[in-house]
Amino acid sequence: MNSSPRVEVSDHTQRSSVAPFQVRGRFFTAIVLQMAHAPDPAFFDAIDAMLAQTPHFYANAPFVLDLDRADDIDPSFDFIGLTRELRNRKITLIGVQNGTIEQNKAALHAGLITLPSGTDVLPETRKQNAAPKEDKPKPDKPVDENKNHKESAAKESRIRPAPVAYANGTALLVTEPVRSGQQIFAERGDLVVVASVSPGAELIARGNIHVYGTLRGRALAGVHGDSAARIFCEALDAELLAIAGLYKLSDAFDPSLRRQRVQAFLDDGTLRVESLK
Amino acid sequence: MAKVIVITSGKGGVGKTTSTAALGAGLAMRGKKTVVVDFDVGLRNLDMVMGCERRVVFDFINVIQGDAKLKQALITDRRLDNLFILPTSQTRDKDALTREGVEKVINELRNDFDYVLCDSPAGIERGAHLAMYFADEAVVVTNPEVSSVRDSDRVLGLLSSKTRRAEKGEGSVKPHLLLTRYDPGRVAKGEMMKVEDVLEILSIPLLGIVPESPTVLSASNVGTPVVLNQNSNAGTAYADAVSRLMGEQTEMRVLGPERRGLLQRLLWRTA
Repeated sequence: MNSSPRVEVSDHTQRSSVAPFQVRGRFFTAIVLQMAHAPDPAFFDAIDAMLAQTPHFYANAPFVLDLDRADDIDPSFDFIGLTRELRNRKITLIGVQNGTIEQNKAALHAGLITLPSGTDVLPETRKQNAAPKEDKPKPDKPVDENKNHKESAAKESRIRPAPVAYANGTALLVTEPVRSGQQIFAERGDLVVVASVSPGAELIARGNIHVYGTLRGRALAGVHGDSAARIFCEALDAELLAIAGLYKLSDAFDPSLRRQRVQAFLDDGTLRVESLK
Repeated sequence: MAKVIVITSGKGGVGKTTSTAALGAGLAMRGKKTVVVDFDVGLRNLDMVMGCERRVVFDFINVIQGDAKLKQALITDRRLDNLFILPTSQTRDKDALTREGVEKVINELRNDFDYVLCDSPAGIERGAHLAMYFADEAVVVTNPEVSSVRDSDRVLGLLSSKTRRAEKGEGSVKPHLLLTRYDPGRVAKGEMMKVEDVLEILSIPLLGIVPESPTVLSASNVGTPVVLNQNSNAGTAYADAVSRLMGEQTEMRVLGPERRGLLQRLLWRTA
């Protein structure tokens, strides 16, 4: 007698071929609170004073506690209570950095994430008196070359080792080759590179990316979610292009576009790379 | 005041130590008082390539730790009066190098010499970082192939950001490209990168093109810097590079590996 096993095919597998979600990357700026010691009433008074000064700047910003100097925060510290106290003040604590192994365990237990320490930037609270608004995208507007950029470039290079300067407005201007392993982040707007970008280098911008040279590394535009951002380059040889988190690797580019002047943009959820002629 | 020049590359095995020895000897031959310093703690090779490994008593680490004076550690080259070697330790490792210690030694050397050549180890960690940190100029040694070019590019990024000059805003470390192990035959076949392609990616001034040459291995075996070999194309290329390093305009000659004569090709295994 022939008894072959019967295989039941579930109805679910045949139902839909559309994925329930898409995975994308996203950059955001978190506010880091460097703790000198465990929070005490004076700490909360200071927080209240800070919020009274600029009530809107910190609303909805993700906060991270830096535990580097907070040796008196021991594993029994009440992170849950602290998170609640801060949330009462409309501050959302999402994680900690530079903690010891025990501090990190306690933080994880309270639902906070432990972050690798990143590069800190001083937030410009004086210049911005409102929460940062999404700029209306202007992808076709060329970035005007600032007459003073040479001066500001020279000044900037005295302060910071990287050869970058903010031109008029919010564009970040780079005039020297971007080397392998370097990462340039234009967090305020566009990024303009008047040089080539080596393989292994990364360009990241809130707005558009313009490379007046050969783009060989990775370029990620519109990282704060601006899907109208574009990437332009004189010669395409990039490893990866991404706009608002949607990316394309070099093997997915049309071979005829290699080393051509191209622009990349999002069109109806697809990342398109087209020749600029 | 001396010029401190780091010979670096990122990639290993491209010819840093050979180049340090050759450029150092070349500068000394031109009358400049030169010292070559080995930064590859634990894997020292500069003393062997210079032919003085049997005369090492005190080394760079001894001087940093105050066990010896600089004068006691410096070795005079037997062939050239103007050439000195500061060897490093073979038993310790890079953790023995401290920024303050290196700074003190380099400053002392600056006072007594015209040129201080720092032979960097491969990589981008402590030893390489300290070798480049106090430099005024850099010779980036690169082979005409993709991995070496990529690593050299990384090193160029570090030279413009992680050196004393970059951090203090005193003008940048002046980079020079030294293309080594160049074989025109393989370039013609497309197996190796062309000079223009390397320059397009690295975009720094070309110091010289040193051809692949069996004389380099022979030189290292006997402990004589290859620039002292009159019959070597590599040696000639290094001599040209030395002129350019001194600021002279010298026409770039692209030499290939020495051609073997008929007899040599028949009897290619030399005694």
